[in-house]
Amino acid sequence: MLLAYALSSGITSGALYALVAVGLVLCYRTTGHINFSHGELFMIGGFLAFTLHVMWGLPYIVALLGAVAGSFVLGVLTDRVVYQPLIKAPPIAMVMATVGLSFVLKGIGRHFWGGQGEVVPFPPLVSPAPVLIGGVAVFPQQLVVVASVVVCMLLLTLFFTRTRAGKMMQATAENAHAAYLVGIRVERVYMLTWGVGAALAGVAAVFVAPLTLLTPDIGLSLLLKAFAATILGGLGSMTGAVIGGLLVGILEALAGTYIASSIQDVSAFIIILAVLVFRPTGLLGARARREV
Amino acid sequence: MLTVRNLSVWYGLSEVLRDVSFSVPRGEVVALLGGNGAGKTTLLKTLSGLVKPRGGAVEFDERPIAGLHPHDIVTKGVIQVPQGRFVWPSMSVADNLALGAAARHDKAGIAADLERVYDFFPRLRERRGVPAGTLSGGEQQMVAIGRALMARPRILLMDEPSHGLSPRLVQEMIEVIRRLNEEGMTIFLIEQNIGVPAAVAGTTYVLANGAIAFQTHGSKVADDPEVLSSYLGGGRH
Repeated sequence: MLLAYALSSGITSGALYALVAVGLVLCYRTTGHINFSHGELFMIGGFLAFTLHVMWGLPYIVALLGAVAGSFVLGVLTDRVVYQPLIKAPPIAMVMATVGLSFVLKGIGRHFWGGQGEVVPFPPLVSPAPVLIGGVAVFPQQLVVVASVVVCMLLLTLFFTRTRAGKMMQATAENAHAAYLVGIRVERVYMLTWGVGAALAGVAAVFVAPLTLLTPDIGLSLLLKAFAATILGGLGSMTGAVIGGLLVGILEALAGTYIASSIQDVSAFIIILAVLVFRPTGLLGARARREV
Repeated sequence: MLTVRNLSVWYGLSEVLRDVSFSVPRGEVVALLGGNGAGKTTLLKTLSGLVKPRGGAVEFDERPIAGLHPHDIVTKGVIQVPQGRFVWPSMSVADNLALGAAARHDKAGIAADLERVYDFFPRLRERRGVPAGTLSGGEQQMVAIGRALMARPRILLMDEPSHGLSPRLVQEMIEVIRRLNEEGMTIFLIEQNIGVPAAVAGTTYVLANGAIAFQTHGSKVADDPEVLSSYLGGGRH
């Protein structure tokens, strides 16, 4: 019973980590850079949804679309303001720039949404009463979250395998030189990539908001969990990010339940350390080394 | 058709190409021979818009193309064939070929050209569903050429077509270049080995230390002692 509860909450948060991690990996494999402000994109996305839904009383679906569109725009701005100007600079410049951006976004978050106590409640989307599935109490919101994450992953897969834009993104990720040579507008692909990556963080934020408490400082801890997920799955592998996200969610729920609840928040660090020591390429990481 | 005049390219403080001039007449195969570090790859990158020249001119059909965005150079029909290892490995052969037409929007024309590429390389039709990264080196080279053909080239710029191929496959590559040329394609190729230029090239330039050392004819490169000494020796020009 305890195990089932831990698993169900672990899978829920794991699905969200997966979504955030996929956005992180998407940008990494196409552009070669980790966006250290990815967690703040999540935070802003969540607060945009909060503003639209809670403060302005608009329907949840409008808040969802608004938050996704808003994060997409933020991602595009990241490309214009940070990525494109530094595209030929040493990698460390990009690290510093995205870390800097994370502080700017955190400041914006505190300015607009930080005054309302430290945390902001987001009303549940569906009935908050738990339902029993096979004797296990599950919150309907958890089912909504998991289902939405699955839908997002399917849409993303279709995007990469069926659409021209998706294939161009894939091609740019695998070999940007060849992409230039066939006339793909690689700069636009980068812009789209930052936008889609950020939008994924926004989607995750809208779904997680009713389950947790939003704070302007939530970004860093979320980035670390997504980072643990990508390292566990193998940096550069989208499938790996999904598996890694689920595992991080489940492992931290189990650790919190069976070891000590204080372990829960640091388990992402433990996972990062353990993976780097014992299997630096991650679970599916061998393939990621093929970039030219 | 393609004219390069007094081209100079710098990487930071070093001059990689110095006062390079040559021309590729319509319908011909022109080769440029050079050793490692001679500046061949930089030259192709400059022609395709990946590197901006510091001075000189590149003209295609009497119109300047130097410094244009790679996309705009592709739409003018100047298409580079990179080496076979530059295919997109996890994507299918068909997707690789289809993306060759990334800068085009005429759906019917693209479909017809895909059939033409498959007719030209029947082997690629058989393997169209497989990830390009699982193909042999020779087949990947075919994918790279087929992909370039999908862009409706008016001139092909080939980056070391014989690179990494066995002698038998080099013969096949020579046949492919010959067939393309017989169909009217203008080709400019850079090579490190004399095999391909000797078999198919007309005018052949030799590049050494970033400058054109001299010019000869493809049929003569094999027995011209000056060719080998000029670029294999390195540093003497």
